[in-house]
Amino acid sequence: MAAPIVETKERAIDVGGGRLKLRFKTAGNGEPIVYLHPAGGLFFDPFLGALSQTRSIYAPEVPGTSAGDNNAIHLVDDLWDLVLLYEEGIRGLGLSTAPVVIGQSFGGMLAAELAAHFPQLFSKVILFDPIGLRREGLPITNWMTTPPEKLPALLFKNPEHPAAKAMFTPPPDPELAVKLLSGLVWALGCTGKFVWPLADKGLRKRLHRITAPTLIVWGKDDALIPSDYAREFGDAIKGSRVEIIPDCGHIPQAEQMQTTLGLVQEFLSQGDSRP
Amino acid sequence: MKISAFAQFAYRKFGDGFEKKHDSSVDTPWSLVDPAEVRAGYRDYIDGLMLAARSGFDGLVVTEHGQASYDMMANPSLVAAALAYATETENLEVAIYPAGRSLGKSREPVRVAEEYAMVDHVSGGRLVAGFPVGLMYDACINNGVPPIELRSRFDENLELVLRAWRDDKPFEWNGRHSQLECVNIWPRPWQRPRPPVWLTGTGNPATMQIAHEREFGFNYLSWFGTKLTGPRIFNRFWEMADKLGRPRNPYQMGILQVAAVAATDAEAERKYRPHVEYVFNRGPGAIARHKLAIPGGVSVAGLQALMRDPSDMGISDQLRVVSFGKLVDVGSVILGSVDTVTERLTELIKQYRIGNLHLMMQFGSMPRELAMENIALFGKEVLPRLKHLWRDDGFEHHWWPERLGGKPRYETAKQTARAGAA
Repeated sequence: MAAPIVETKERAIDVGGGRLKLRFKTAGNGEPIVYLHPAGGLFFDPFLGALSQTRSIYAPEVPGTSAGDNNAIHLVDDLWDLVLLYEEGIRGLGLSTAPVVIGQSFGGMLAAELAAHFPQLFSKVILFDPIGLRREGLPITNWMTTPPEKLPALLFKNPEHPAAKAMFTPPPDPELAVKLLSGLVWALGCTGKFVWPLADKGLRKRLHRITAPTLIVWGKDDALIPSDYAREFGDAIKGSRVEIIPDCGHIPQAEQMQTTLGLVQEFLSQGDSRP
Repeated sequence: MKISAFAQFAYRKFGDGFEKKHDSSVDTPWSLVDPAEVRAGYRDYIDGLMLAARSGFDGLVVTEHGQASYDMMANPSLVAAALAYATETENLEVAIYPAGRSLGKSREPVRVAEEYAMVDHVSGGRLVAGFPVGLMYDACINNGVPPIELRSRFDENLELVLRAWRDDKPFEWNGRHSQLECVNIWPRPWQRPRPPVWLTGTGNPATMQIAHEREFGFNYLSWFGTKLTGPRIFNRFWEMADKLGRPRNPYQMGILQVAAVAATDAEAERKYRPHVEYVFNRGPGAIARHKLAIPGGVSVAGLQALMRDPSDMGISDQLRVVSFGKLVDVGSVILGSVDTVTERLTELIKQYRIGNLHLMMQFGSMPRELAMENIALFGKEVLPRLKHLWRDDGFEHHWWPERLGGKPRYETAKQTARAGAA
């Protein structure tokens, strides 16, 4: 929960016919990347910092998770509503080229939904340990009912990893700790609205609609959603590429940042080789 | 003073160490259970409530919990209906008081309105209608309600139930959680325009505010230790009454209190101690904490208030391991001789202006005979010493059925319209 390492700017786009604003944090310069945050909310981590050296990052916040606008979540009905609002928001950025999308966990699911609903919206799709599928015999751990003390081991292969420590060590100022922790809990509640109960909301039936080149990255030791799901995504998205990262839990961009960054940079530099 | 008997139907035979291995709700293994004990227990539970009705108690209070070993009560309307009929056949003038159907959980609010209306008819207008939001494990895990929708579902369901009771003509409902072409329940309740309504709260000012603005009673459960939480919760309620220009009418306030009485203090401790420990350690105290506080269920402001000062929650985080002595000290349980119990309850009632006392006298692992003994002794010796409280203070009971001496009062059309607009 350390302070963000990258200077970000804010941009708010009216969506839903003026019903609410989709709030973006932006950073960097270059070809556009839309980054969709995980269930705990948006945090500009070193991975995004590194990407922003050569790219423009546009990171929308799920309504309700933006500081000072917590009730916005009540203006969004369901996942379908959210997908439409995000499409409007991304379109509203007025980018000159279709951006790449990167989504982590909850954001991965949302990226897949967007790319399936609107196949022309993104030039490339990168999913890190996305949720959104559920198959019997392949259980997902409900992070929302996991006791807080068990979260580090749920999210990291090595809960002693510096990134885990940074994520779970509260700041020394008690008032700041209250603000950050309440924000984190509320963000889990807001994003939970679109996935609770943790079942497949129909994504499996929609994944075949994704036509953009897709990279699926998964931590081999993901304890939240097992890496076996990487193949499920890979099989459903035609021509996609699956990369399993060893010694890595649910958040590859944090636990194996260099490896993940390398895979992403390589994928970004490739032309569309698909037929 | 209205004094009711409160009961939950718990499995009574979990062995030592149960709470170290298992939670008491959601995923408690059924394999631990002797089904014959469950069957016998239901009979004892209802018999205990009927004994209370025959012993002069004013009401019979029951609750709803799904997938719960400490209260096997999927729907309190079921037992309320049985009690309504049985008490009617014996001419027992007692309130039937489900405290009650969880409206944060319910996906069938019209059915809730109809069930309660039916119980109201069977009982001949003795229904007191309780509507808690519901516990998160029950609403969200057992019934799949997204935690962040718990409160809005409760709010909408409550409006729908009240309107279904009130309106003479059929209406259509185009809500967020229910969309219905024609709401026209049969029967409407016997009490017109509606039975008295009670909410249950743990300290959230929003719930208290609704009670004040809509003429609902307010119930508080003393599990967390009233000596710790009482000065906060009750004072908050009464200060809000002052602010809204409402009288501090004690009949608007109810409390659940675990209580046991015997010939002497020492005998009470000897007889009831294991069952007190059982109900707290292996009952509601053994609900998984993280399944009661799922993200989304509490607003940001509420979260911050609880993080800065968790005192509203009393000993809630210790219930699984808390000792008998501590439970007595903090007021989670009141037990002793007739004199001791009368004195403690009188103190509680007067200090916090409580006009409705719901006594939990059959609890935990208590065998049938002991539960009956406790209820009978309370009825015979303690009730007569408490019933006069508030009698001469000039307040009317606006939250109790007319048939049972209440003077029900309802929100005005203006208050209803304001709530609908909100």
